This record gives sequence, structure tokens and C-alpha cells, in this order.
Amino acid sequence: MKAFHGKILKVDLSEEKSAVKTTDERYVRKYLGGQGFAVELVYHDMPQGTDALAPDNVIAMAPGLFAGFPLPTGGKTAFAAKSPQTGTLVESIMGGAIGAELRHAGYDALEIVGRAEKPSYLFIEDDRVEVEDAADLWGRSTREVPDLLKKKYGWDVKVACIGVAGEKLVKFACIDCEERQAGRGGLGAVMGSKNLKAIVIRGTKDLEPADPGALLEVALRYQKVMENAPSFKEDTVYGTGEFLGWINKEKGVFPTRNWQLSVFEEREKIDPYYWATRYVTKNKACFACTKPCGKLFEVKEGKFAGVAIDGLEYETLYSLGAACGNASIESAARGNEICDVLGMDTISAGATIGFAMELVQRGILTEEEVGMRLTFENSEDAVPAMLERMGNREGFGDVLAEGVRLASQRIGKDAERYAIHTKGMEPPAYDVRGMKGHGLAYMTSTRGACHLRAGFYAPELVGKFWRWEGIDRQSPEGKGQMVATMEDFMCVYDSVGLCKFSRGFFLIEKLTEVIEVITGLKFTEDELLRIGERIHNMKGHFNYREGVTRKDWLLPPRILQDPIPDGPSQGSVITSEQMNKMLDDYMAARAWTTDGEPTPEKLKELELA
Amino acid sequence: MPKMLVPYPEKCTGCRFCEMACSLYHEGKINHTNARLQVHKRDVRTDFPVVCTHCIVCGEDCCVQACPVEAIKVEDGIVTIDEDECTACGSCVDVCPFGVMRMEDTAFKCDLCGGDPTCVKFCPMGAIKYEEPNTEQYEKVRTLLEAE
Repeated sequence: MKAFHGKILKVDLSEEKSAVKTTDERYVRKYLGGQGFAVELVYHDMPQGTDALAPDNVIAMAPGLFAGFPLPTGGKTAFAAKSPQTGTLVESIMGGAIGAELRHAGYDALEIVGRAEKPSYLFIEDDRVEVEDAADLWGRSTREVPDLLKKKYGWDVKVACIGVAGEKLVKFACIDCEERQAGRGGLGAVMGSKNLKAIVIRGTKDLEPADPGALLEVALRYQKVMENAPSFKEDTVYGTGEFLGWINKEKGVFPTRNWQLSVFEEREKIDPYYWATRYVTKNKACFACTKPCGKLFEVKEGKFAGVAIDGLEYETLYSLGAACGNASIESAARGNEICDVLGMDTISAGATIGFAMELVQRGILTEEEVGMRLTFENSEDAVPAMLERMGNREGFGDVLAEGVRLASQRIGKDAERYAIHTKGMEPPAYDVRGMKGHGLAYMTSTRGACHLRAGFYAPELVGKFWRWEGIDRQSPEGKGQMVATMEDFMCVYDSVGLCKFSRGFFLIEKLTEVIEVITGLKFTEDELLRIGERIHNMKGHFNYREGVTRKDWLLPPRILQDPIPDGPSQGSVITSEQMNKMLDDYMAARAWTTDGEPTPEKLKELELA
Repeated sequence: MPKMLVPYPEKCTGCRFCEMACSLYHEGKINHTNARLQVHKRDVRTDFPVVCTHCIVCGEDCCVQACPVEAIKVEDGIVTIDEDECTACGSCVDVCPFGVMRMEDTAFKCDLCGGDPTCVKFCPMGAIKYEEPNTEQYEKVRTLLEAE
């Protein structure tokens, strides 16, 4: 088998020791790479009942099977750990090159356990593995840290690090590499809890594909396929927010003011069709991506002058924009920069501020308690100001740094009625009241409300996808099986390291060819989906084992009780009956108990027990 | 004047597709230590490709002058290495201002893929072009490198 080294590097920070575990072809056949490897390591190696911020939590990093090879959009790296935000197994995927560099250093995956005695960073250069003193880096931003480390080790090392938010255990702290983030689920706080500021890697070993000539041909072919795909030009000019106007106006599912509305009336001001030509100075891309949806957004004058970010992504236009009633694109960009620099997930951070704003609107929170004016009306100033406080855990920012679930419990006074989350995860920018299957996906996602674990917004909004046609977004019928199948498919995607934006043309039957060219291993489509199912079952079993059961999956009150009041999806709601029917269908499709437990027979069938 | 690789830093997204393709094309495997060009991804504003200019930029022929055994020559405006003559002393690697002279058993460098450069084909953004040499673009890259 080519492409893999058959080595997993295991580092124990408490003991300052490292060891190499060897694997063989069977490991790849069973778990594929990327998310599959990372999830396997956490699932099997973390002792049951471990607190997410305790030394025994396992944080794993694994490059996707394609990462390091020139395959368009195929350079992704997976991180995984038990999440302090959800209490579930969270994997988060990033577009930085740290995973591919690990592969060049000779490892297929990295597992970190324990807690360093003092602030530290991990340095890996091929066979050399050191835990180094990070006293000079602690307290520094995600931009300063790589700068300092590159001055020390050379321009070509790759650095993944946390910001101050990770050090301060903000529940949604992220991990940054090259302005790309493993954003969701607070994996940055897990690093912080381990006193681990950064991972620095330089690798000089070869990555050998099984068929180099064929790989060159395949790489160029898919680059052309992508360039000729219908939305290539729009996506590369306007970024991931390209379809914001359509979601907002045509579909009416763009959550606004903490989901009180589903159409943002000031949409024009945050739409990329407005700002791309005014603020974007350069295209940016993830590692190995030939379709740059990243935009260098620069503010040259005014009170936000000096802001420079790789953004704003669609989800951030919602979270730091519409969710907070913020129509100032410059303010949202500054908010994005604060999140990046301090190391916070923009989705959860913004959604949590929107939640607090609604509490102020309803008189549940007062200006005095919050320590500043925090309203939808003054969001332009309030959003950046509160983000600073959250990332540094200052004042009321310390409460909001807990995310909506824990913050609402602490605030009390009916605040939970307005906390929008599943499993403690603030949702992304799709109002699922008008997208029933996507609502199911928010519940079944093992990391809480997520648009990417099933990627189900696309099938429902477009009405057809892959094996299905005539999909009715307002109907719960058949969604259980479809969501389960999409989850398995997306597990495969995250294991080979492909970007979800390729899922429209890089369907599963195309993956088998590429995997064979790179590894020499033949897989059938069914075998790949079976691996996806195995990965999803590991996550599901882990979560059930950690006490997260069906009651924790349920949709929040607003989705079940408050019909969408405005726009094309007006009147839409997911009723309790619809919710439970979809969940029952889903559990049946997975052959899990109705409480969400993978059965012993299923685990045995998947060779997990 | 023969055509050369010309870098356009303002168009580079930092994806490194060119680097991987270069290595794969020349070596049949991927390793950025043997790619004949490099992509620097410095900060949120700055990504740029560093290519061999075949000494167009300064006209100094640093590597040619540095080679003690005259293994490096300029033929039709293109800098080439005679691998049989090369003693792998590393002098050329030390003097190259762009850091694109590489060394394994012998020195090796960009050969423009015989007139159909792989990096150009694999760059979707036109950040590396194969055209008339452009000193202004080479100077841009040199300035970026000096700031590193």
C-alpha cells in the first residue's frame, strides 16, 4: 500500500514522552484516514467518563487520505476530541496544511494526551519530537504565534495554534493554521486545558502515490471539472456567501436576530455582491484548493480601518451579521478578525451574542448586568466589543464564553426558552423550520447543530441531489434514511480530506478511482459507505456512552413552537410529532435503539465490538 | 529572449498546488524539499510563488559564478546543470537569492519542464505564467523575500 506510513505518533504531555504505534493496510481499510483515524483514536483511547478538559481527554489530528497530494479541494485535516461545549465526540476539519506536513514527517496521525506542567508547544521534525517551553507564546494571538515560531525555525514550518480564548478555555475556542480553523466544538479549549499552545511541524519525507502519472492526469482533470462547474466563477469571486441573497429572499431561511426572523431586511449591506468589489483585495485558498472561496477582506478607512481577514464566510455573515441584526459589514469583518486572532469559532461566538441581545430585548438581561449596551440596534459597536470580552473572559463576556446552553442555565429567568442549540452547539445559518430534513440533521449530528455532518441543506434547498429527486424541504417523509446516508457519505468525505463544496460533482463513485491511484487499494462504493457508517457509529456510540441520549438531541423551543413569522417560509415550524417521527425513522435507518444507542449487533456487524 | 516563469504574487492564493505538481512531475513522489519552486504563505495578506528566474533578475549568474567545477552553464538563456560534473559542494545553493537551487545527490533546479511547465498548467489563478521575462515581477518577489 502506498501513501501511508503505517505510523501513528502518540504524545503524552504529562510524561513528556512519545511513542509510535504501527498500523497496516487493515487500518486504512477500516478507517480510511482523516476523520476516520481521528475519531478511532478518541473513541478507543479516551477512558469512559473523562471530563473534556481533563488530562485524559484525547485530542487527535489526522490528514485526510488525499492530503498532501495534488487533488483539488482535497487537502483537509481532521481534529477530534471530546468537546467541552457538547460533551460529545467532536471532529472539526480545517484547510490548513498542518496535516499534510505531519504526513511528510512520517506519520498518518497524531494523538495527544495528558497535560504539560507549564505552557508548552509540540515540535515535530521527522523523527524528532520535543515538548518545548511556550512561556514566550502564552497570551499571544494566532497571528503572533506562527510569526514567532517561523522566525525561530524557518519560514517553511507549519504551525497550528490556539489564541487567548483557547488558553482561557472559552467553550468554542478553535484551532488555527494559516488563517484556517478547526472551528467548531471548542477543540482549542482542549488544547488550552493541556497547556498546549501550538503544534509545529516540519516534514521532509516523501509521499508516494501508487500511480504518479495517473495522479497528475486525475488532478488536472478534476481541476478542469471544477472550473467548468456552474458556480465556479460566482464562488471564486464572491466566496461562500455567494448564495446569501437566494437563501434570504427566495427561500426565507436566513436566521435573523437570534432566529426571531428568517429574512434579514438589510441583507444587501452584508451580501458579497455588495462588498466583494469594494473590500476584497486578493483571493485566498485552503491548502491544495484550486477554487479559492477565501477572500482577503481589507478595511482601509473609517473606524474599522486596518482590519484584514480571510473572510467573511457565509456562516459568519449570519452569526456576526444577521443573527445580531448587524448590517455593518465592516463591523462584522472586525468581529471576524477578533474571533480569528483570539481563536474563537465565529458561528458560536456570534450566535451567542445574538442570544444575549434577545434577552436584553425581552428585559431578561439588563444593561447593568451585561456591563454595556448590547442590543440589535447598536450591534455595529456591540458585536466587536463583546467578542473581545468573551475571548478574554472579561466581565459578562465570561458568561457568554460558555455558549448559549450553559449561559442560559446560568442566567436563568426563562433564558433557556431563547437558547437555540442542539447538544449545546449553536446552529449555523439555515433556519430549519423551513427545511425539515436539515432540522433532523441538526439533531442527529454527533457534534450538535451542524450544516456539514450531513450537508443536507443542499439537497433540500435545490430539491435534488445524488440519488434523490423531488425532495420537498417542508416534508419529514423519508428524511431519516436520507440523512443517515448523507452522514455516512460525509464521513467518507472528511476521511479522504475533501471539501464539502466538492460534493456536487465528486460523488462517491468518483472517489474509488482517486483512492486507487493514490494508495493502490481498491474499494467499492458500498465499502466506502460502510466505512462512513462505521465512523458515524463510533461517534454515536461514544456519545451514548458519555450519557448523551435522545433527550439531548431534541430541537430547541423556538424551532418547535414559534412558526417563521416572515418571508417565503412564513408559517413553517417543525412540530413535536414531525420531530419524533423523523427521529424514529432515523434510528430505524441506523438500526439504533429509539434512545439513540447503537445496538451491540450493529457494532459487531461494523467490527467495532 | 526565451520564455520564462513569471510570478504574480497578487494572484497567488497560497494553495501550493504548483509545488505538489512540480514534485510529482519530476520525482514521481511529493516532497516540498525537491519541488523546483516554493510557495510562501506568510500571513493573511501575503502568499507568493518563488520560481527560478534563470538569473534574469540581476544578470549576475550567481550560481554559474559560484560553481567551482563549471557544471552550471547558461545555454540559450536557460541555466542548466551538468549532473555528471556536479560535485554536490553546495556553493550554488548558498548563493541563490531565491532559494530555488536544490541539492540531493547533485544540485538540481527548474528546467521549465522542457518548455511546457507543470506549475503553470496546475495554477488555476494565473499566478505563474510562462511568458517574456518580467523584471518588475521578479523584483516584487525579491522584496517579499527580503522582508521575511
